Amino acid sequence: MKKKLKNLNLSRRNFLAGTATLAGIAATASVAPITIANANHSEGKKGLPDFISWKDRDALIVHSDKGIETHRSAIGESLVTPNRNIYIRNNMPTMTDKQIGNRMDWKVSIEGVKNPKTFTIAQLQKLGHETMATILQCSGNGRGFFKHKPRGSQWKTGAAACVLWTGVPMKTVVEACGGINGDAVYMTSAGVDHVPTGLDPKKAMIERSVPKKVFKDAMLAWEMNGVPLPNAHGGPLRMVTPGYFGINNVKHLGKVAFTTSESSVKYMKKSYRISPIGKKGSQYPSCWEMPVKSWITRPTDETGTVKAGKVQIVGVAMGGTKKVRSVKVSVDGGSSWKKAKFIGPNLGKYAWRQFVLETTLSSGTYNIASLASNGTDKQPELRMENRRGYAHNGWKDHSVNITVV
Amino acid sequence: MKILKFLLIVFFSFLFKNQISFADEAKMIKGLEIFNETAGCAGCHVLKAAASEGNIGPNLDTVEGLSYDSVMDIVTHGLGVMPAFGEDEILTKDEIDIVSFYVANSVGK
Repeated sequence: MKKKLKNLNLSRRNFLAGTATLAGIAATASVAPITIANANHSEGKKGLPDFISWKDRDALIVHSDKGIETHRSAIGESLVTPNRNIYIRNNMPTMTDKQIGNRMDWKVSIEGVKNPKTFTIAQLQKLGHETMATILQCSGNGRGFFKHKPRGSQWKTGAAACVLWTGVPMKTVVEACGGINGDAVYMTSAGVDHVPTGLDPKKAMIERSVPKKVFKDAMLAWEMNGVPLPNAHGGPLRMVTPGYFGINNVKHLGKVAFTTSESSVKYMKKSYRISPIGKKGSQYPSCWEMPVKSWITRPTDETGTVKAGKVQIVGVAMGGTKKVRSVKVSVDGGSSWKKAKFIGPNLGKYAWRQFVLETTLSSGTYNIASLASNGTDKQPELRMENRRGYAHNGWKDHSVNITVV
Repeated sequence: MKILKFLLIVFFSFLFKNQISFADEAKMIKGLEIFNETAGCAGCHVLKAAASEGNIGPNLDTVEGLSYDSVMDIVTHGLGVMPAFGEDEILTKDEIDIVSFYVANSVGK
């Protein structure tokens, strides 16, 4: 058995080296192997892959080397989630410093405007400078609660973070290009992280279209929470689409185009569609606007037993594309609710708000839930069942059980 | 007589057990071949047992809760850039069964 394994491995090396065989494999499987030189995946000393060995292992749940979630209790005691605690969800391998080169020379082209232009980051930095807070949330955050076990990382609450971005407003960039072409309907952003892989761009390029109006609040960001945008989070330049799911916040940004139709790549047409279980297709809605949502971050089943008496129930609440207006908290599984108090600074409608409810609990077990409203919509009790487990904002699944002693 | 019966049971049990094991071993060899060559999984995934170093999809040795069923599901239907090997008829049902068996029994080894 061992001998045969060795032989097969040798033949595999041959196939990696031999272009004729390689082309054959690519034709069969519709993919081409990446060069080993680009690999950055070996497991670091802390049990995290090398490309994010700087993160806090204790704050993270590793679903795979490319799907890493923040513990519910590690969202952060302050409003902004620290970079070392922020989740990782990569569709393509993170680009390396070598692939990126001089960060200031990184280029992004702007098309579908009166005067199409290509800017380096150095040029963008002369155009404008702003900081804003948004929620970065994977479309599949909460997938782990779906009973039909959709394919993909089984996130519970931790594929989300509140981030301070610094960059240039897209509006400023558009003005510098003479305005948007009249017939445009979408803003379409494309990453270049598929390029080093050599894969077919139609299948591998992360190109996402969002309604044109999003440009008004969007940003081309080069800094994240006070440091140059880490490669693992899309550095050196990322599109930020406030209120829209993570996938639309395109990493390693190479092009922004105002287009008359949606991108035709797989990641737009087929992936990230919210379809009923057992059905799929581009006729179903894309993962765009995030719904209103909240969850408890402390105390939780992760933080151990709670001492009887006065308890501070803390959490985060977001309004999606609208400002979050109110949050109610229940300690009896939703039978009764009390209004929680917002605390901490208000960093705008696209950031989340922290909330707290001070209550007194005697010994026993409790189911704690939170229910947010943005004035128009409030969280439903139950999840919206869908094939891939997207956009879950039901309050019941997000509740936590705690024991008070 | 009782002793003879007992020995027969032991003999057949041994034979049956080894037949399964031979079948499994053949499946593992075929599975490795599909993984590395027929399907080209190695081009996109790390799997130490197969000495593969691809870096497009997740390192299979790190995937939480990976099982025969979960591999079969993803290989059949695809995920993101990963092709739907079953739906698009890139692999046969038998090949999917064999490669899923191989991966599920190779992770972490």
